[in-house]
Amino acid sequence: MAVSAEPGLLPEYVRRMPDGRYRGLNPVTRLALAAVAAIVAFGVRDWTGPVVVLGGVVLSGATAGVLRKMALFGLATIPLVASILLVNTFFYPNAHDIIARLGPLSPTWTGATAALQATLRVVAFGLSAALFALTTPMDDLLVELERRGLGRRGAFVVGSALGAIPRMAERAREVTDAQRARGLDTEGGPWRRFKGLVPLVGPVVLGALGEVEERTMALEARAFTAPGRPTLLRRLPDSNWQRAARWTLLTGSMGLAGASIAGLVRLP
Amino acid sequence: MSIRLALEGAGYRYAGAAEPALRNVSLQLLAGRVLGVVGPNESGKSTLCLVAAGLAPGVIGGRLDGSVRIDGQATTTMRPHEMAQRCGLLFENAATQLSHMTRTVFEEVSLGPCNLGMPPAEVVARVRWALGVVGIEALAGRDPTRLSGGQSQLVALASVLALRPGCLILDEPTSELDPGGTRLVALALARIARETGVAIMVVEHKTDVLAEIADEIVVMDRGAVAVAGPAATVLADPRLADLGVDAPARVRLERAVKASRLDWSAALAGALE
Amino acid sequence: MTAGSNPGLAAGPAVGSAGVPAIEFESVSFAYPEGTLVLREVSLRIEPGESVAIVGQNGSGKSTLVRHLNGLLRPSSGRVLLDGRDTRPLHVARLAGVVGLAFQNPDRQLFAGRVSAEVAFGPRNLGIRGSELEGRVRAALEEVGLADDSATNPYDLGYSRRKLLALASVLAMQTPILILDEPTTGQDARGVARVREIVARVAGGGRTVIAISHDMRFVAESFRRVVVMREGRVVLDGPPGVVFGEASWPELRAANLEPPLPAVVGARLGLRATPTDATLVAALVAVRPGGEPDDPKRPAPSLGS
Repeated sequence: MAVSAEPGLLPEYVRRMPDGRYRGLNPVTRLALAAVAAIVAFGVRDWTGPVVVLGGVVLSGATAGVLRKMALFGLATIPLVASILLVNTFFYPNAHDIIARLGPLSPTWTGATAALQATLRVVAFGLSAALFALTTPMDDLLVELERRGLGRRGAFVVGSALGAIPRMAERAREVTDAQRARGLDTEGGPWRRFKGLVPLVGPVVLGALGEVEERTMALEARAFTAPGRPTLLRRLPDSNWQRAARWTLLTGSMGLAGASIAGLVRLP
Repeated sequence: MSIRLALEGAGYRYAGAAEPALRNVSLQLLAGRVLGVVGPNESGKSTLCLVAAGLAPGVIGGRLDGSVRIDGQATTTMRPHEMAQRCGLLFENAATQLSHMTRTVFEEVSLGPCNLGMPPAEVVARVRWALGVVGIEALAGRDPTRLSGGQSQLVALASVLALRPGCLILDEPTSELDPGGTRLVALALARIARETGVAIMVVEHKTDVLAEIADEIVVMDRGAVAVAGPAATVLADPRLADLGVDAPARVRLERAVKASRLDWSAALAGALE
Repeated sequence: MTAGSNPGLAAGPAVGSAGVPAIEFESVSFAYPEGTLVLREVSLRIEPGESVAIVGQNGSGKSTLVRHLNGLLRPSSGRVLLDGRDTRPLHVARLAGVVGLAFQNPDRQLFAGRVSAEVAFGPRNLGIRGSELEGRVRAALEEVGLADDSATNPYDLGYSRRKLLALASVLAMQTPILILDEPTTGQDARGVARVREIVARVAGGGRTVIAISHDMRFVAESFRRVVVMREGRVVLDGPPGVVFGEASWPELRAANLEPPLPAVVGARLGLRATPTDATLVAALVAVRPGGEPDDPKRPAPSLGS
């Protein structure tokens, strides 16, 4: 077990103790809940799976006070949802309970039901992922995973890749500005646009490589490769019941999904 | 005065390069003193930093001649995390040196001591010490990615200092900073040397900055030391111009007035105070 | 340069008789989408052929201001005019023929495998071909001292030479207006001298040069006009002798800047504001015609302080 700081040693802005029913859960518990949500939403047949997950996620979202932001994330699923609805409603194979004839198209009740169910699954999963992302700062999750044995290098690979995204975007913007200032025309036909990519991609990639090298050296200079377990200053609350709940829920949901797929359990 | 870092006849050739980038360099870093390094572009200053800090050949390969010793021990025998505790290294671009994995300056500075697996109380003590020496206690709770250039460079400096190295090597730490940021870093370096006894080597184009903080100066030219000595002497050396190095404003003015054959040097000296 | 060889403006605003348009910022404000206000009602007029340095702390709005000249940024309110015509309808690729902008970090633009190809990129985008293109590339490389490296890979050059290469790649576009963002960072004394010569030659040829710089000596010695920015506003604007003069010091310090040492010494000696080495000595000589002290024992004039 890694060493941790006594309470009171760290300033409040470093301790950052989460509060609230949902936010107070350990990040690993929340990760497990998101996994359970995915398993149940997609693995349990008929209506029960997606409806239960959707209900749970919305309730948790309300508790954590992020319902509005989750709704915005939910909008991101619209293209997928739309295509599911259209394809299933109009082209469901071997369905004959036609609702109405619209020229060459013949929507079916079977198709519409399947479409609605699939939509619920996608939305339930999407909102559960959004809930997790909105309430879990990346460093909270990393510190807890590291405590559970994820190596420092693993944490670095994940953390720095995510941390580098805004810088990557910033660099891409600067490169685009610099080339446009030299008259690069980014409008026009596909060939012209493709040719325009060369002067953009080159500096972005080379710059990123150079930065990785420099940061690797800078981290070496901060004893990143020291042997032994690093100290983890922060410790987020966890408890025996959370540990038990994580395992129970994960194994339980997998069992339920398996039984449902195999047709052993029939839920409405 | 104790020698923290010593190069003796050090030469270095990058992997795959035809010519050596560094030739027969001998110099010493002394506890509590600041050594300034100047020279034209591509004269070997950055290579000197990498060699002195043991990254070349330790991390990037290449071939080293002569010897580089920190506290009497050859750098070639040390592993990177051992080097890190003896000699800190800082580059010009502060943003790339931050981990981008921490949410507060406090945690950023704690990264090094944490990597060494120190007990939390020791980590916290070191972080507070490093923040204090650099003079950025007030930034401790801030987000490290949302600071000015000068402030980020000070955070990078504190992060390296938290490992309590005996010497500190800086490669153009102010080149991307505005005058305000440059002043912040220069003052911090002077204070670190004075209060902690850390030996400092700093590569710096701005000779006005060196005139204020350096005790000794070496001038590099084509990979070798061209001129070396006490800061005031070297900065007034007439060979500087031929080596592509600007004299500090004060030296230039004194020279200009002398060349104009006006006997106002006394008045000028008064005005410069 | 004539209006005809100036593709960017051919369909845009009319161009002054010399082909160099006057620049006017008309109460320009700029805010990023998330709301950060970077420019606050900046009004500034730059006549054709002026050489202007813009100084100020990082974040004071210098880079944001110049990016409005070639349309990389558009004002949130106010207008940017070239020869009295609004630039808003003009595309960046068009304006690139009029306003050349060399960025601070060369590594944000270098992509070609050869130095000469990198320099040819800009003028080629402006429609220059054949011997004219070759001539421009050669001239620009000579100007920055990279003539012998035309076949080299840009990434085999050191940082300072990569920076000069980026400068050459903009020089070769021969735009009536040239903007340099921090051209002297990473340059040694020789590099700075080279940039100073380029500024003098371009401005001497009647084109407009604007530079952003933290290097007060470079600013005082190379530009006829200095604009000081603080928190998105222009707070000082005038010749170096005035902007670095004693009356401006409180405002300079508020902008976190120091006047160059010769200006301080000149003021303390009771001379009129004298911001450069050369002008300080010239002023000293002017005070004593002939430059010879008539009586070495005579005390110097009383000091300003």
